[in-house]
Amino acid sequence: METKIINKQDLAKLIDGLISAGARTVAPVKVGQMHLFQEVRSPAEAVFDYFLARRSPKEFLFPQTEPIFSYTRQKDSVKIHPVDMAFPRTVVFGLRPCDAAGPGILDALFAWDYEDKFWFNRREQTAFVSMTCAQADHACFCSSVGLSPDAADTGADLHLTLLDDGQRYFVEAPTGKGKKLVSEFPSLFKPATDSDAAARGSAGEKAKGLITRKLDLSNVKQWLGSHFTDELWERLSAKCIGCGACAFECPTCHCFDFQDEATPEGGVRCKNWDSCCIDNFTLHASGHNPRNIQHKRYRQRIMHKFKYYIDKFGKTLCTGCGRCSRQCPVTLDIAEVLENIAAKAASGS
Amino acid sequence: MSEYDNISNEIRELAAKLLARGEVDVVIGYKPTALPGRTQPAFAYKPEDAREFVFNPLCVSGLPLYLTKAKPEISAKDRIAIVAKGCDVKNIVALQRENQIRREKIKVIGVVCKGVVGKYGRCDGKTEPKPEDLDEKCRYCDVNTPRDYDYLIGEKIESSPQSKEKEFEEINRIEKLSPRERWKFWEEHFKRCIKCYACSKVCPLCYCNRCIVDKTMPRWIDPSSHARGNLAWNIIRAQHLAGRCTGCGECERSCPMDIPLMLLNKKLERESEELFGYRSGYNPHDPIPLAVFREEDDDEFVR
Amino acid sequence: MKKYFFKSVQISVFRVIRVPYLWLKNMSEQSENKKNESNGEWEPKIIAFVCNWCTYVGADMAGTGRMKYQANVRIIKVPCTGRIDPLFLMRAFERGADGILVSGCHPGDCHYNAGNYHARRRFAAFRKLIEFIGIDLRRLQFSWVSAAEGKKFVTIINEVTDAIRALGPCKEYQSMALEPPKDKVMPE
Repeated sequence: METKIINKQDLAKLIDGLISAGARTVAPVKVGQMHLFQEVRSPAEAVFDYFLARRSPKEFLFPQTEPIFSYTRQKDSVKIHPVDMAFPRTVVFGLRPCDAAGPGILDALFAWDYEDKFWFNRREQTAFVSMTCAQADHACFCSSVGLSPDAADTGADLHLTLLDDGQRYFVEAPTGKGKKLVSEFPSLFKPATDSDAAARGSAGEKAKGLITRKLDLSNVKQWLGSHFTDELWERLSAKCIGCGACAFECPTCHCFDFQDEATPEGGVRCKNWDSCCIDNFTLHASGHNPRNIQHKRYRQRIMHKFKYYIDKFGKTLCTGCGRCSRQCPVTLDIAEVLENIAAKAASGS
Repeated sequence: MSEYDNISNEIRELAAKLLARGEVDVVIGYKPTALPGRTQPAFAYKPEDAREFVFNPLCVSGLPLYLTKAKPEISAKDRIAIVAKGCDVKNIVALQRENQIRREKIKVIGVVCKGVVGKYGRCDGKTEPKPEDLDEKCRYCDVNTPRDYDYLIGEKIESSPQSKEKEFEEINRIEKLSPRERWKFWEEHFKRCIKCYACSKVCPLCYCNRCIVDKTMPRWIDPSSHARGNLAWNIIRAQHLAGRCTGCGECERSCPMDIPLMLLNKKLERESEELFGYRSGYNPHDPIPLAVFREEDDDEFVR
Repeated sequence: MKKYFFKSVQISVFRVIRVPYLWLKNMSEQSENKKNESNGEWEPKIIAFVCNWCTYVGADMAGTGRMKYQANVRIIKVPCTGRIDPLFLMRAFERGADGILVSGCHPGDCHYNAGNYHARRRFAAFRKLIEFIGIDLRRLQFSWVSAAEGKKFVTIINEVTDAIRALGPCKEYQSMALEPPKDKVMPE
């Protein structure tokens, strides 16, 4: 893996350089009490000394609302206006490894039975620059799903680790896109020495130590396979209120719904985020709803993440970022659910 | 033993007693979670389940939500006991006023509350939060001792809400802006909306079987999360709570995008008090302002 | 927030996207808008929600009496002002209305006894809400016009039209209507 050093001023210059090169440059920005990924006009807007953005950066590949075509109705025909599929070059800075892991997990899905051009065209245009975590809380459990707070290779194109001096970042370029980004601004990246590599190693260890929540997921999938009905579901998720806060902040939730916004003269067909926890997610036109009560909807969320997706694509649909637990209005902690499942699986019930 | 330990113990004992005697089928309360600084709603069906119950300033969730038809898994039970702070009791009263619950089937375990922690406040859950860590609604609370209960836990205290001027300071400030500036203010907030509908799902008074936003024939509110759709949703949500909202603040607390929804609710709360003379959550026999009328209602805005 | 990201993009492609997005502005108005634009003059578009029994008949009265009023108003007849949901008014703004008039029977005259009383309460609250959001209340007006008050109808329409003309187009809403949902959309 190519390694370099970039100091804080040069990182600002890199952002500046990308902005002046016309790239859509995105970084965490402080909005009120939270941080959000937003396009920045100057490096000063970007905040890298932060915990985790409220929303995952999946929206840069898979926007919440995306027009897939528009149409106008003539007398007895409909005219379709396709959408321009050339998306702007985008560089997203300041992701955490759990955020960066999301797109890699979802590639398999968007390429599965139909190659989603909206996803892949954007993916091609987008580079992710992740950073080693400096903070974590008890909702974080990335190390339990095979990630780590300092992992460079989770899917980011560049990974930065702030070294002990607080001024220089150790740069790793795990992908071709990352190497290209480095070669685009050669003067900003300095060569890394062995002692820098050692310092990066110790910074990574420190970050790993931040993750206090360790879950044993080894038996979870198997248990899920044989416990579609179990008292656990209702016991743990009867309190779920059925909003979409968890899914809409999740780096891997990808369900969407097609909806038309139209007048009698024409309209736009949009692809909108949807969530399995919302009550009308599976509502049939007949009025029948196979998931007619909340714990069945929440079960789908767990099943999809920790069983179905693994069966189909071989990956866990969770990066352990903990957003869903933190933002849940009723503190339905996904890690607590997994702990309960693991305990049940271990006790053989 | 701290004050909150005593309250928690009393709740546990009472809940276990009610369940053991078969007086209720379920007790709704709070229990701890692994996440620091949080608690979660809990349901006890057997006396031993009640051992988990706690009460402390981290018990922010509004539990009356679970009495509505939006949560049939719990509300369909025949007899329910619920742990309720003063503000939760206001919601119970509002639900009673709207014929959503049969009060005689519900046992309200009222808890004297000295305020809960705010969304970004800090509190260890053992002692009262500092004034700066209190939730916004608690600063103006006039129901520290619940106004209606079957059992009361804790020593009755007098409420000392801060002044109305302070409570409506931000609303007054926004009202003084020009329409253009107000529009900008809300545009900035609404553009963050992700339409997760946590605001309505968490609201005990948003109990409709099918929300207007889900109706498609015709489709009144654009489902997409763009400026138009977000604005329409947020206006209509507030309008549908006009004269009904009790000011529990759950929508704003639950909003993952920190939209100041309580400004809209409080604005309408004040207007409905001024225009129609009712405050929601105080009297189950009050009519719902927008469901009734008086011939002498204010006519001045009509030409 | 997402719109925010695309703002720079939007401005540059705005002209291109305009054509397929005009439907959002309400297609039937396109030709009129063009006509007005070619004269270099903007004309306000006013939607009047009127009740079937009083104001609509009042408007009829104005017509049969050959009274003239400004032609900017489009009348939508509903059974009763009590039928008017705030959603109707929002949708009218979304589809390009510059001003809205809601008009029904005088208190006590409602064909259904109390529809207008209920409407009065509903709109008393709703107008406060949208004023708070930032809509100028001159854009949303209410009146009682009886079946005999053709003249009053003419006066109100003229006054409302003049007020809206002075205010200019309802840019807040119209900018929203024209904004593409996300990214850029181009014609074929």
